[in-house]
Amino acid sequence: MFILQKMKPGIQIRVGFLLLALILPFLPFVSDYLLHIIILIFLYMILALGLNIVPGFNGLLDLGYVGFYGIGAYTSGLLTYHLGLSFWLIIPLAFINGAIWGILLGAPTLRLTGDYFAIVTFGFSELVVLFLTNEIWLTRGPLGLPGIEPVSIDLTLFGGPKWEFIGEVPYYYLAVFMVLVTVFVMHRVQDSRLGRAWFAIRDDEVAAVSCGINLLTYKVIAFAISAAFGAVGGSFFARWVTFLSPDMFKFWESFLILCMIVLGGMGNIWGVMIGAAVLVSLSEILRDLLPLLGLPVGVRFLAFGLIMVLMMRYRPAGLLPIPAVAAQMRAGRVKRKKVKASVGLKK
Amino acid sequence: MTPILSIERLFKRFGGLVALRDIRFDINQGEIVGLIGPNGAGKTTLFNCVAGVERPTGGRIIFAGKNRSVSLVGKKPETVTALGIARTFQNIRLFDNMTVLDNVKIGRHCRTRSLFFGAVIRHRAQRKEEKAITDSAHRFLEFVGLQGLGGEIASSMPYGHQRRLEIARALATEPRLLMLDEPAAGMNPQESLDLMNLIRRIRDRGITILLIEHDMKVVMGVCERVVVINYGEWLAEGAPQEVQDNPKVIEAYLGTGAANAA
Repeated sequence: MFILQKMKPGIQIRVGFLLLALILPFLPFVSDYLLHIIILIFLYMILALGLNIVPGFNGLLDLGYVGFYGIGAYTSGLLTYHLGLSFWLIIPLAFINGAIWGILLGAPTLRLTGDYFAIVTFGFSELVVLFLTNEIWLTRGPLGLPGIEPVSIDLTLFGGPKWEFIGEVPYYYLAVFMVLVTVFVMHRVQDSRLGRAWFAIRDDEVAAVSCGINLLTYKVIAFAISAAFGAVGGSFFARWVTFLSPDMFKFWESFLILCMIVLGGMGNIWGVMIGAAVLVSLSEILRDLLPLLGLPVGVRFLAFGLIMVLMMRYRPAGLLPIPAVAAQMRAGRVKRKKVKASVGLKK
Repeated sequence: MTPILSIERLFKRFGGLVALRDIRFDINQGEIVGLIGPNGAGKTTLFNCVAGVERPTGGRIIFAGKNRSVSLVGKKPETVTALGIARTFQNIRLFDNMTVLDNVKIGRHCRTRSLFFGAVIRHRAQRKEEKAITDSAHRFLEFVGLQGLGGEIASSMPYGHQRRLEIARALATEPRLLMLDEPAAGMNPQESLDLMNLIRRIRDRGITILLIEHDMKVVMGVCERVVVINYGEWLAEGAPQEVQDNPKVIEAYLGTGAANAA
């Protein structure tokens, strides 16, 4: 307790959250269903944090994130299915694999600006879904990929036991751990030479170049790291639900993750996590609530759309905005002010 | 004296418009050279050609690098910066939403190297580099007179400070040639005087300066040599007083008749 008192309030809150996260599965009201939803929230936190690098840190619209998620999930699924690789080996492989795909897609396309780039990424994610659906020899197509082995900790090599992950609790802790690692990496990157270069690109590309920043290189790095986190999220997903099918990686997933970022506050690590938590839980609540009201479950997408419209109208920079994005959202007004100011100066 | 920058027979066309025609002049090591001319004369285009933002249509730009001379034609802006040419912009281009200190830190970018793994692992070399970046950023802020303002948001500072910050950021790239595009625009007389002092102090550090400026007090006060261009063509060159009395220059600024009247 004494240590807790000495900490700053910000750290206290974080430690509190961590303790809560660690004891959560043992609280009396926590059912398996609730735990499942929370793991889903954590998974989307990882995905949203990964995506956040591209629109949040670099200011580029990426509509094809789910493509990397899908690639990660299927690679992990197939490697487990055919080669029986351990999850702990697959995670670094997935990271590298995702990064490679990010470079392959990013290097030729990141020369494009704004909307053109967004359209290419969108096309890419559709391509991934088509590939997964049609290359039946590899992915079994629309039949899906069932029977992926769950995660296990295998210590038999060292004469220890083999412990398979059964039920939600071990996955819950695994997800907590993965979120912690992701948040850690994001914080470190944010406060580094690499992060500053990204923020410079987001703020003013011309000025960034004049400081010696190679735009293409840094955008490709951002895209690769973002893709790598997408693929890691996909690997976790594959080994958690143990079943994959191509329609899990449709375009609207990308859109949903993008919504989480926009809702929470683009570029803000905590905001993005809140966005993920809000949208995933809302989706589950509506799934139960809508049938009671006599509405089909699909209506929840209408609700998401409505939320986004309201956000854009009243709080365009998100729940926890960062100054850079808030300023971009106000860009029109700011420009007019600047013009007025410069006219005033000349007088 | 060896020229640090030689511009030889430089042409730049934008479609049918000839923005620069047969421009040639040299800048010597350690000089403060002013580049003047009426609005639309092509001064900023010339800057952009040197900085690698625009590709010249013809001619050569030779920069005496640390070890050997290099042609700047076709070089990318970030390469030009790495070679040792820094610039500021006519309409200030800061990273508006970042702190003053971060702005200068980004200027250190091309002289440092850590990337993703350095950022995540923070090994010793990376920590050392990060500390060096912060220390030198503070030094550059102090040099331009913005010490203690590192935590401010760049866009929240007064105009004169923003100009200084832009210069600090350019200096942080360790240039050998610094190109300033209208640094005194919108400054009051006191701020202009301070700016002239700053420019001299930068030169005293061994940095050559090329300056576009409309404020004649600044040009006359600080430049050792002035190049005049008009309608994209070289018009005159020489010591400030000489250029000021040149009838062709007066004509270019004030129109025909004015030269005779004077």
